[in-house]
Amino acid sequence: MMAPSAAAADSSPPSSSETTENHLQPFFVLHEASSRKPERTSTGTVKTRKKIDFSPSKLKNVEKPDVEIAKEGGDEGYGNLRMDAFEVVWSKIESTIKDVLRDINANVFNEIHQWVRDSFSTIRSFGMLTFREATQAFPIVTDASSKQLFTGLVLTKNMEFVDDLLTFEELGRHLKSQGCHVANLSSLDFMAKSGIGGCLRSLLRQFLVAPLDAADISILASWYREQGNYNNPVVVIVDDIERCCGSVLSDFILMFSEWVLKIPVILIMGVTTTLDAPRNILLSNVLQCLCPCMFTLGTPSERMDAIIEAVLVRQCSGFSISHKVAVFMRNYFVRQDGTITSFIRALKIACSQHFSMEPLSIILKGFFLEEDRQGLQDGLLLQAMFKHAFDLPSYGRNKMGEENVESFAHCLSELKRSQTRWRTVVLCLYEAGKGHRIQLLDLLCEALNPALYSSRTSGTCTKVDKGHGVSPSNNFPVQQHPIMRKGRLICQAVQKVRDLPIAQLYKLLKRWEELTVDINEIHAKLKELLYVIKLENGRSSRQDMADSSKRPVSRSQLNIEKESRAVNEKAASLIECMVRDHMQPVECSPLHEIVCFKNVETLQLALIGDPRRRIQIDLLESYKILRCSCCSRSGHSLLPSLHDTSILYNLAQEHGDHINLHDWYQSFKSKVCSSRSKGKHKSKQSPLPKKRKDMNEPDKPCEASIQARFCKAVTELQITGLIRMPTKRRPDFVQRVAFGL
Amino acid sequence: MLRCGFGLLMYGFGSKKALLEDFASTALTEYSVVVINGYLQSINIKQVVITLAEVLWNQCKSKRKTPSGNLPRAQQPFNSRSMDDLFAFLDGSELKENDYFVCVVIHNIDGPGLRDSETQQHLGRIAFCSHIRMIASIDHVNAPLLWDKKMVHTQFNWHWYHVPTFAPYKVEGMFFPLILAHGSSAQTAKTAAIVLQSLTPNAQSVFKILAEYQLSHPDEEGMPIDTLYATSRERFLVSSQVTLNSHLTEFKDHELVKTRRHSDGQDCFYIPLASEALEKLLSEINQ
Repeated sequence: MMAPSAAAADSSPPSSSETTENHLQPFFVLHEASSRKPERTSTGTVKTRKKIDFSPSKLKNVEKPDVEIAKEGGDEGYGNLRMDAFEVVWSKIESTIKDVLRDINANVFNEIHQWVRDSFSTIRSFGMLTFREATQAFPIVTDASSKQLFTGLVLTKNMEFVDDLLTFEELGRHLKSQGCHVANLSSLDFMAKSGIGGCLRSLLRQFLVAPLDAADISILASWYREQGNYNNPVVVIVDDIERCCGSVLSDFILMFSEWVLKIPVILIMGVTTTLDAPRNILLSNVLQCLCPCMFTLGTPSERMDAIIEAVLVRQCSGFSISHKVAVFMRNYFVRQDGTITSFIRALKIACSQHFSMEPLSIILKGFFLEEDRQGLQDGLLLQAMFKHAFDLPSYGRNKMGEENVESFAHCLSELKRSQTRWRTVVLCLYEAGKGHRIQLLDLLCEALNPALYSSRTSGTCTKVDKGHGVSPSNNFPVQQHPIMRKGRLICQAVQKVRDLPIAQLYKLLKRWEELTVDINEIHAKLKELLYVIKLENGRSSRQDMADSSKRPVSRSQLNIEKESRAVNEKAASLIECMVRDHMQPVECSPLHEIVCFKNVETLQLALIGDPRRRIQIDLLESYKILRCSCCSRSGHSLLPSLHDTSILYNLAQEHGDHINLHDWYQSFKSKVCSSRSKGKHKSKQSPLPKKRKDMNEPDKPCEASIQARFCKAVTELQITGLIRMPTKRRPDFVQRVAFGL
Repeated sequence: MLRCGFGLLMYGFGSKKALLEDFASTALTEYSVVVINGYLQSINIKQVVITLAEVLWNQCKSKRKTPSGNLPRAQQPFNSRSMDDLFAFLDGSELKENDYFVCVVIHNIDGPGLRDSETQQHLGRIAFCSHIRMIASIDHVNAPLLWDKKMVHTQFNWHWYHVPTFAPYKVEGMFFPLILAHGSSAQTAKTAAIVLQSLTPNAQSVFKILAEYQLSHPDEEGMPIDTLYATSRERFLVSSQVTLNSHLTEFKDHELVKTRRHSDGQDCFYIPLASEALEKLLSEINQ
């Protein structure tokens, strides 16, 4: 065993030649940064300076591309450009997400702030302290009521506290901006190990800034008195009380309840489960000190919808994902992880992979973000880019005719236009489905599905008859469009439109009117429809007044109902039209590769490493990875030329959860020696002992070397955690740990 | 990916040590690289953090063209600062530019020296710092169980790479006991002494009787239980057979003593240690 000489290791980095020594040091400095400054920023700015306008009117200017392309367009500069573009796009997405989350929480935050102010004035009303009292280094307690600690319990409605870390940070920032003194504590500050001192120290760190060794609450009290902090409350935010150590938290609360007159502390605690949580982890005498107040945050699904709406559906960065990726991300969210944080992470990985794989992705930066300028930087790589663009499968598939700049620009603007219309329709559908448990994420997956769209367009879809019957469910041509098939969300949303009472329908149509402001044809139709409803409303209300005096149920009322049904029907058919004609998924447009990330496999690999399964597959099917000539032919039978550990693990599959070492060794030995007699096999990548053995090939490998190889292979299995070493009780057996893939 | 703010995590069968170091010394020349060998038994994480802070400090100093004034002086040398201060420094509150970062390469972030949860928490905080990028490898199939969701999603922010190298685990396996060289011989006088020190003085004395007997009768198979009882009783160490048996059970549980059948059919006890080791042990517990 090595001697841990950390002190020796940290100060002087050993020279790189002494590599063996490096292996045995806990850590070492491999190299310091070279003096060369990273060139990324400089090249980026140089290239972005040249901007070429891509709007069709000005495209004539770029007909003859610069000569420098060939010279400068090295991969390096190109990569940097894409990196720049990624940063721009991702920062846009990220800030959008932040804004969305902040908006969602804004109401609760304001509520909390109001409560903090109220509680503070209550504490103040207990009376001001005299100078003598205030400067004493111990707490003052007048009566029981003054020992109350105002506590806000924030129900997160979310088991995954990860998603709320940011929320509490934001809350802290919000309160700070309103003049409160805020400290954010996490459950790590309330560990049994560090005790009450740990959280006090952390508090002092955050309030006093200057590091202090002593953890004493009187320091905090004197800080509060001296710094002119007297008119503002002290807010302590604990993000997740369920993960805190109960006894430490209890001590903390008891202590502050005694000091509350001197330091008007107001607690805010995050609760992920139910309101019982504080009762479960705190003692009853502690609970008596609390004066709780409840707040509730939005549910995760609300937040998720808002994020998706802002980032993927509304115009945000231009970056979009394909149907498959969307489905994968949804499944990952719903079935596997369930945190919004992880969803955002997945999006980020997708985005970064998009920029690293798709050369044309740099267009995203200028093309979608700066709407007014439509500036596409980079006259340098233009030609290479065009060539690449015309090679894209989606371009070829749609047979766009001649390959020149104009058609390229045309395609791009077309892509953008269809995207805008798609967004609008999806938003309309979402509006219709709101309040009916239709989640935007699911809707998005369906709206992105190119299979549904192509069957929609190629199918024999007749225009929906506008004034069609009153009973929609049976004679409506639902079956003709796969996307309208029952059970599909889009269909459900349309059905919702049909069932809406007239007042709500009016509201919905108003919303649609706002949404479709960019698409003239739909907008006009909507106006028409709204007009009809208005008319009818007026008429019905007039009739209502007239009717109410006479008979309770009249023929005219039935008529009204019928007519309003007809309006519903019109609205429904309108949205169906929109879905059919305008909701073209991004994957159906030419050049969509530029904006759309499609590679679901790489995303999956990067997002979910599955070492448990992967490492076993590596071992069981090592020939697939090593691709040696000897094993790939043989299929499943074990050849001695296989990697030792791989042989051993394959053999282990035949055993139960305990493997007899002796048997295992014997079968290993027989495998390794088996082809010696046949005498033909190539040496492939193999550990050292084997090579040595290959040199004296005629006779069998000696016992010792086989034993050594066996030991090594077992150790390697042990490192990977696939077996456990023998116990004292059964010294001849190793234990298998992992079963099945 | 590193620039994008992800941490890289390599997994798959085979040693990834060479791979990571090659990567670090070819692709990451612009940045300082600190390597942690997680496969070692004990690693002082605070020392690591101190080193990181020093490296970052040097990097900033050397890159800054106008060294005077702009950089706030470090009030204290790094090695006397608290962990929180160090993290605050690495997180960049004192340095404005985002372009500096130190890469941390960790071989076997799931290794024995880093496996406990406190260390992992610290590693998570290191990875979370804005001036740190982390590249790590794992070998154990259950390594992801070390991290909770907070660490995975917000701190480490892993980007997984499957890189089965099939290279032999030369250094990593160095500290594992070999399977065929069995553990029983590792039962040394040292461990026996530790066990004995935790027992009562009477039990220790019983053990001493047995040891002295074994030393004086090296050729015999062991001490018969009757003899042991008689001797122990004479010295007022045990009052009954039951007490003796309880001592013996204790010994057997800790493998200080084993039994075997004597040629005349009687059970007898012996200590499974060589006589030199036994002498050493006796002198140790006599102190």
